[in-house]
Amino acid sequence: MTPAKPSSAPSDVIRGTLELLILKALSLEPMHGWAITQRLEQLSREALRVGQGSLYPALQRLEEKGWVDSEWRATEQNRRAKYYELTRAGRRALGQEAETWRRYVDMVELILHT
Amino acid sequence: MDPTLWTRRWTRRLRALFQTHAVDAELDEELAFHLDMAAQQNLRQGMTPDEAKRQATLAFGAVRKHREETREARWLSWFPDLSLDVRLGARMLVKYPGITAIGGFAMAFAIWVGCITFEMVNLIVNPSLPLPDGDRIVKIGVMNVQESSEESQILHEYTAWRSALRTVTDLGAYRDQTLNLIARAGDARPIEVAQMSASGFSIVPEPPLLGRTLLADDEHSGAPPVIVLGHEVWQTRFNGDPDVVGRSVQLDEVFATVVGVMPEGFEFPVAHDAWTPLRTDVLEQTPGAGPAVTVFGRLAPEASIEAAQAEVELIGQRMTAELPTTHEHRRPRVVPYTADVMPGDDLLMSIGIPAFAVMLLVLVCSNVALLMFARAATREGELIVRSALGASRRRIVIQMFAEALVLGAVAALVGLVAADIALRQLGAPFLEANVGELPFWFDVRLSPLTVLYAIGLTVLASVIAGVLPALKVTRGISDNLRQAAAGAGGLKFGGVWTAVIITQVAFTTAFPAVLLLEQQLLSRVNNFEAGFPAEQYLAVLIEPEDAAFGSDSQSVAARQAISDRFVPALERLRQRVLSHPEVIGVTFVDMLPRDNHPDRLIQLDEDVATSVARTAQASMDSTEPFRLVQRAYIDAAYFDVLQAPILSGRNFQPSDLIADARVVIVDQGFVDQVMRGRSPVGQRIRYHNPWAEARGEVLPPEPWLEVIGVVKELGMGTPSESGRAAGVYMPIMPGVQGPINMMVHLRSDPLQFISQLRTAATLVDPTLRLSEFKRVDQVTDVLAWVLRLWLKLTAVLSAIALVLSLAGIFAVMSFTVSRRKREIGIRVALGANARQVVLSIFRRPLTQVSLGVAAGAVLGFAFLWRMVSCQDNVCVETGIVSVTNVALLVVYGVFVFGVCLLACVVPTRRALSVQPMEALRAE
Repeated sequence: MTPAKPSSAPSDVIRGTLELLILKALSLEPMHGWAITQRLEQLSREALRVGQGSLYPALQRLEEKGWVDSEWRATEQNRRAKYYELTRAGRRALGQEAETWRRYVDMVELILHT
Repeated sequence: MDPTLWTRRWTRRLRALFQTHAVDAELDEELAFHLDMAAQQNLRQGMTPDEAKRQATLAFGAVRKHREETREARWLSWFPDLSLDVRLGARMLVKYPGITAIGGFAMAFAIWVGCITFEMVNLIVNPSLPLPDGDRIVKIGVMNVQESSEESQILHEYTAWRSALRTVTDLGAYRDQTLNLIARAGDARPIEVAQMSASGFSIVPEPPLLGRTLLADDEHSGAPPVIVLGHEVWQTRFNGDPDVVGRSVQLDEVFATVVGVMPEGFEFPVAHDAWTPLRTDVLEQTPGAGPAVTVFGRLAPEASIEAAQAEVELIGQRMTAELPTTHEHRRPRVVPYTADVMPGDDLLMSIGIPAFAVMLLVLVCSNVALLMFARAATREGELIVRSALGASRRRIVIQMFAEALVLGAVAALVGLVAADIALRQLGAPFLEANVGELPFWFDVRLSPLTVLYAIGLTVLASVIAGVLPALKVTRGISDNLRQAAAGAGGLKFGGVWTAVIITQVAFTTAFPAVLLLEQQLLSRVNNFEAGFPAEQYLAVLIEPEDAAFGSDSQSVAARQAISDRFVPALERLRQRVLSHPEVIGVTFVDMLPRDNHPDRLIQLDEDVATSVARTAQASMDSTEPFRLVQRAYIDAAYFDVLQAPILSGRNFQPSDLIADARVVIVDQGFVDQVMRGRSPVGQRIRYHNPWAEARGEVLPPEPWLEVIGVVKELGMGTPSESGRAAGVYMPIMPGVQGPINMMVHLRSDPLQFISQLRTAATLVDPTLRLSEFKRVDQVTDVLAWVLRLWLKLTAVLSAIALVLSLAGIFAVMSFTVSRRKREIGIRVALGANARQVVLSIFRRPLTQVSLGVAAGAVLGFAFLWRMVSCQDNVCVETGIVSVTNVALLVVYGVFVFGVCLLACVVPTRRALSVQPMEALRAE
């Protein structure tokens, strides 16, 4: 993820990277869906706009792959929310996916600079 | 994987499958929480509560769509919707009764055919013993690797295996014997007896109904003769006498004491009626000699069939080393018990027949798919709206699959019930008509495996009939949405459906060729003239006692002794039967009139002189010179008893019955076809085998035989084949060649004479085995029954093909008219007349039906033209192309054409009644 200038308009998440970003967000601590979108926007310094609706199908896919696990807990405001947590397999997957992404970016960079 | 996580994952998956509502409620709660949090953030930024909520929803996007996407990301997400789809599918069945009835019936028939063929093939190719550990029961045989044949005289090996084998227990052997059981004086009837080791009763651990089974002590050479009766023999021959145990019964000429009765269904080793001990004195045989036996046993615990094979091979090698002259090419082998019992265990049987059934299903379901497609096309609007509301293509395809699955399930149920009824009522008789008596493990009824197979067929049928049209309908559905909005239909009947229609019309046209062939075969069988009043004659097959195997002097002498006894016994029986006042005459023949007589090639004197017979192949297709004849061996009284006078020359005399008399009588068919009307009397013929010569076999030339007389045609030839036979009768002393048919001419109902004939035979010689009693006009009954069965099946298939064609064309036409309603409206508004409108609609179906009928006619004609039948290496073209048949095919083609066009009438009338203004307004 390349940080963009805060002044520019927020970009949509590039297709196919949402799952990687969710894994990254969850690598810090377990959190619910809303918190994930907030964390991603915060990490990108408001430069990235996460399609909120597409977050939940992505979380469902990650759960199905066994990369995240979920449970219902109370929030600080004492509301019931579904918290997602990275599994060990998910942590491994994050490393691999991040590496794949870096290679891809390097490759694109290489092409753009030739 | 972490077991806790694994458990949680599977619990979640199963909850999503079976507690859909609860899981959906949780998803709604989660999304609501998200929207609440977003709205609260907006509030904090100073928005009004309503605005905060609105902006939160806007930022989230289409909630319903994301909710659907989240649901679809679940494991087997389509499954919970399936029940709804199934309910919808059931509703569609009721809503469209035409498609339900036609499609359902066609699918049911295809599944019925699939199940029956699978069950039959599975019984033969993959038999299983319905016994505890049935798969561990084996047969041990000996192959002659030089001659690639199974050796049957293996008593010497059996004795060695009995003392040495460790991997096979309960080792036993049996010998098949047909013996006459004389339960009451003068009533000898043959039964199938297994002369068996007592261990056979350990293989099938079933307690006797009465008394006991055979014991090891019964096998000793000095032990008193005993017999264990099967349930059927006990019921039919002893009227189920509860005191039968202890009774002495006569088996041929030996008396044995009944020691037990086995329960119903016990027929081990194959299909036996009774059991006597295999005595140890029988076992004392020189290597490669003795009676034919089959050896069986049970694999020892922990032993595999490979281990048993290795052990018998080791013993075999030892025997080969010890007895190189007799055992050089003998290789023992261990096989599953049910192996090699039934004929037909080949590739055609195991793959060809089921493949044909699956092809039939695919063909039928392609036609049902056409109907489903037409129906889906009429629902295009509904599908487009659903798509616009967020239903994915997969969702729509699954729904249409579910609809087809419901139809398929109903069809499968009908097909399975019908298959069970057909198998129970016709399965066993059909198999028996084709392969003879069935082994005890042939349980001809629907097996669980076949039900599973039917489920597989149903899914396949539903995929073809549901998924294929769904994929076509939903392809580019978003484009269709635009087109529909613009007022034009997006769906078209493409090349696939055109091919389906042409194929089905072609098959509809071609099937009657098969029907025609079967009908003509049947009518030929029914009208095959015997040339004498066959219904006044009783026929019975008479066999001598079982002859010994082998070419050793002991076996040859034993066979000669049996023959020496059989020949005079037949003569005495003739005299005794003749003395009965009801009897007009008695004669003997090896092959009954109207039965399948084997074909033989002959040479005439003149052929040798002109070398004509070298063109043997030319004689096979009924062109010049005609040299294919059918042969029967008869006694001297045959023509007198059949009341067929000699037309020219003389009849056989008793002196002609000696082996080297070398005289024959021919029938009128021979005179007309072989002699071309010339008199054959005085001509010489000899049998001739050009195939053996072609193979390079050097055979001694057959002796010349002089034709001494001519008789009318008396049912020679093959009942199902076309053309006249050319009959050659050879004189024979009845019985010198073993089994022979006796024909008795009676003044009263022949079947009433059976018991008297039995008594006479029993009194003459209790070893005479009488079986296959029938009136001579009943000879072709079994063949006619099988042909009638095929005829009915083909008729149903033809009817289904016709109905499917009609429905398909009707569907396409209705679809076309509704699709082109607007266009027709404009044409009519612009002044087009009815003829132009009709032509524009008719063009397409007209072309399809024409192509289909033409293809079908060619197919049918080719079938009738190239029909070839083979028997014993002799192949004869039995094509039934005639002016009448071609005319029938043409008439039927015109009929199919007419009927198919008739299917266009209703849609065309609908098209002609289109009012321009209504059509345009409707759009």
